[in-house]
Formats: sequence, structure tokens, C-alpha cells
Amino acid sequence: MTVRPPAGAWRQLAPATAFYLVFFGIPLLILLVLSFWRQEGFTQVPDATLGNYAGGLTNKLYVTVLLRTILVALVTALIVVPIAYVMAYLMRFRFERRANLLLGLVLISLFSGYLVRIYAWRTILGTEGLLNTALLQLGLIAEPITALIFSPWAVMITLVGLLLPLALLPISSSMSNVSRDHVEAARDLGSNGLRLHRTVLLPMVLPGVGTAFAIAFVLAAGDFVVPTMLGGASGGTMIGNLITNFFRSSSADWPLGAALSFVVLALLVIVYLVTTRLLRWVSRR
Amino acid sequence: MIGQRAAPATDRAGEAGSGILSRWAARIFVAIVLLYLFAPVVVTVLFSFTTSPRLSLPIEGLTLDWYGQAFSNPLFMTALTNSLWLALVTAVVSVGLGLPFSFGLARLKDRARGPLLTASLVPAAVPALVLGLALAVFFTTIHVRPGLLPAAIGHILVALPFVILTLNARLETFDFTVLEAARDLGASPIRTFRDITFPIIRPSVLGAALLAMALSIDEFVVTWFTIGNQQSLPVLIWGLLRRGIDPAVNALATVVLFSLVVLVILASLLSRRRS
Repeated sequence: MTVRPPAGAWRQLAPATAFYLVFFGIPLLILLVLSFWRQEGFTQVPDATLGNYAGGLTNKLYVTVLLRTILVALVTALIVVPIAYVMAYLMRFRFERRANLLLGLVLISLFSGYLVRIYAWRTILGTEGLLNTALLQLGLIAEPITALIFSPWAVMITLVGLLLPLALLPISSSMSNVSRDHVEAARDLGSNGLRLHRTVLLPMVLPGVGTAFAIAFVLAAGDFVVPTMLGGASGGTMIGNLITNFFRSSSADWPLGAALSFVVLALLVIVYLVTTRLLRWVSRR
Repeated sequence: MIGQRAAPATDRAGEAGSGILSRWAARIFVAIVLLYLFAPVVVTVLFSFTTSPRLSLPIEGLTLDWYGQAFSNPLFMTALTNSLWLALVTAVVSVGLGLPFSFGLARLKDRARGPLLTASLVPAAVPALVLGLALAVFFTTIHVRPGLLPAAIGHILVALPFVILTLNARLETFDFTVLEAARDLGASPIRTFRDITFPIIRPSVLGAALLAMALSIDEFVVTWFTIGNQQSLPVLIWGLLRRGIDPAVNALATVVLFSLVVLVILASLLSRRRS
């Protein structure tokens, strides 16, 4: 590509930038301002208080739910990323000829309907669901396993299915930049098994793995539909449910909901920074 | 769980190269992953055709009744029309904004391009819940009632990063000297775009538009916060789900699923084609 004067470039960049500023930047800013206001009855009163943050982070229920959210999102990401890594590795280096077909299948599953997949997992995991029915008919269990649904387990099983395709894409795309010869050479020099992955392959696909982890964690932590459908009344509530309730129900508290939203956003940024640093450290050893 | 069981298998795969054992371990791993991904899809499609309203195995009989029931729901046509309208608006506007943006990016020097591209992808990294809330509060603040238009804005915000990502990938390998040649030969900017640029990038543009439509049709969270009393297919499905188990949901879901799969297959075929 030739180097072109960027004189006209700004005019081309302007419309989308304006859209982002008006419908992304300003709304987030308003939400941030709102998080320093107070709720009085049904209205929000302008203020400059940190009360929502302080109240949100000292309330035992909110902290419990927040910690559970972090734990569920962390475990989900820690299950999703290794599976996605192995799958991407196999697609690139073992089933090379069918890599496109496999990637196509993964994409189709990604777009097979967000709500649909969540609902289907409820059908599969329910007390009278497919899994329990099958296990009962096979005689493997005497009573339906009730813990399968309406528990953090059900939430994680579903989230893993939802997020696996999304985690696979970045890892797969950074692995496509790794040449087969490079891996072969490392193998010839005596690097194999886990060592091959840790010292050769993983450092090369690290950006993809970091992105995959961040995507999996962020989307798991921010999801409120899965815990609503599969989390049950108390044991599976996540921070998304709390925030949604503050904006929808009769016990509305918009400022508190806004503050909790920013707590979640801050948390996500921290997790992202820690993960990328940690991964870099692991691969350098 | 699957990961723990499968991890040793791949280590062996790495060591033994093309050993029969590792080959089978790799195949079984891929099969389990695909089963995990497609179990919900198979369940939904299967139960949209079975007679028993209660979900049970073995299957008793097949029927199209649930489709009849889903389509005769008075809200279905409204939801379908609204979803199609949203998808169309989302595709047109997000490509209309994303295409010039990607061209602008391609003209920038590397140092400016990287951060700007990353910045344009940020909305995709923010949880949909926060996007939806921020937009809901924003529209309340400027006294715009919830409805289809706010929902469309939300959909565009969701789709735009992916449109930019797709188009940027195409333009990175675009040969800009072709355009300069056309300009040197006296073609106007409009003519250059119509006769040279657009024909070259058309498959990618269509691919990006279809991707935007798929994202829009499947979008639920942002929609739920911005659409108010209006319907879209996912909002309708959500309403039915909350009322308990209704097999008509499976039929409705299968319709959505089918249209999404068609869009995504078309999109990926188009994006891959280089004219």
C-alpha cells in the first residue's frame, strides 16, 4: 500500500466516530454521572455522593453476589480457554484439511440463537430434562439429579457452550500465523508434549489466548439471561440480575445500579490487565 | 470438565505425532466439543417437530402443530416484521458508517491506525447489559420514548465493531495503487468508487452487511432495554419463555435459527471470496 496523505481520511472517519461519541460515549458518561446521584422514591436526585459505591461494596448481599459472579466467570473462562486452545491446535495441526469445515460449524453454533441455546440447555439439564431422563432410563441413577439445574453449575455449563465459539476465534486466528515448519523444528530439537506448548506455541499465540480469556470472562460476568433462566432463585444470582432489578422493578434504584455497572466495568479492566500480564509472565519462564 | 479429561490426550498427540492412539484421542476430543456446541441446536429443532408437549424420550410422534401455533400468535407477525426492519436498518447504517471508517483507517499511518481500530472495537468488549442500560438512561434523559428507533441505535452500536473488523481485514490487503491509476486516467472519485473500488470489495461489504443482520436478529439484551412495549423475535421468545414451557417456542426458535444460519453461511462465503 502506498503512503497516502491522510487529509481526506478524517472526513471518512468522522461519521462513525460521531455515532460512537453520541450513542456510546455520552450514554456511558451519563451513566457515570448518574452513579453519583441519589434515588429518592421514584426519582433520581442530582448529587455528588460516593454513597452508591460505598453502599454497594459494603452490602453483604451485593458483595456475595459480586464474588460469586467473579468466581463463576473465572471458572467458566478457565474451562473455555483450554478447550478452545486444544481445539484450535487440533484444527491447525491435526485436521488441517477439515479446518475450514470445523471453523464453519463453530460459527454456525455461535449464531444458532443466544436465547435459543440458553433455553435448550434448560431443556437438557432440567429435573425432568433430557439428561436426567436418559440417565434414569439407562439405570445409572435412581433419582433425578436436581443440582443440574438452578445452580451455579447449570450457569457454567451453559456459559461454556455459549462462549466456546467466541473464545475459539481469536486463538484460532493467531494460530493460523504459526507455521507448521516452526512447530516441526521445535519438535525435532526435542521439544515435545507440554513443553512444546509452553515454550514454543503458547508464547506465539499469547495475544489470541489473552483476548479469548478476556472475552470469555467479560461476557460470562456480564450475562444476566443465563443466571435468570438457569441460576435459580438465590444460589445462582449474578451481578447482572441485581443491576437489572435496580432498573426494572418497583424497587428501582438507578444510581445504585449505575454504580454497580461501573464496579463491574472496573473489575473487567482489572481482570484483563492481570490476565495479559500473567500470561506474559508464564510464557517467559 | 471436558478440558481436564482431554488435556493429557493432546499431550500424547503432541508426542506421538501421528500415532493411532493420539489420532483417535484428537478425534474424540473434537467430537465431544462439537456435541457440546450442537446439543442445544439439535434439541430445539427436534422438539419443534414432536407431538408430546412434555419433553420426553423416546419421541412419540411428529407434527407441525407447534409451527402453526407459533405463526398464529398475533404477536408473531409484528415481531417478525420488526426484526426484519431492525436487521435491514442495522445492516444499511452500520455498513454506511463502517465502510468510510475502514477506508479512513486504511489511509492512516500505522501508528494512528492501530489505536483507532482498537478504540472502534471497544463497544464489543463492554457487556451488553451495560450498553443496554447506558442507552436506556440516555434516551430517558433526552426524552426519547423506548421503541424501535432506540432499539435500532442499540443494534447498530452492537454491529458496527464487527462490520469495521470485517471490512478492515479486507482493506488491509487492498491495492490502493489501482485507485490512483484510475484517478490518473481521469476518473472522478465517484466513478472510481463505482467502477473500481466497490466491485473489488463487494463480497466483503455484503458479508459485513449479512453479519450485521445476523447480529441484529439475534440481539436480545440491548433490545430488551431499549424497545419498550414493542416486539422483536428474541423479545417475543423471552416473553414466552418466562411464561413456562411452551413447545411453540421451539418452533419459533427454529425459524430464527434457520434464518441466522443461512445469513452466516452466506456471509462467510462472501467474505472469503476475493474477486
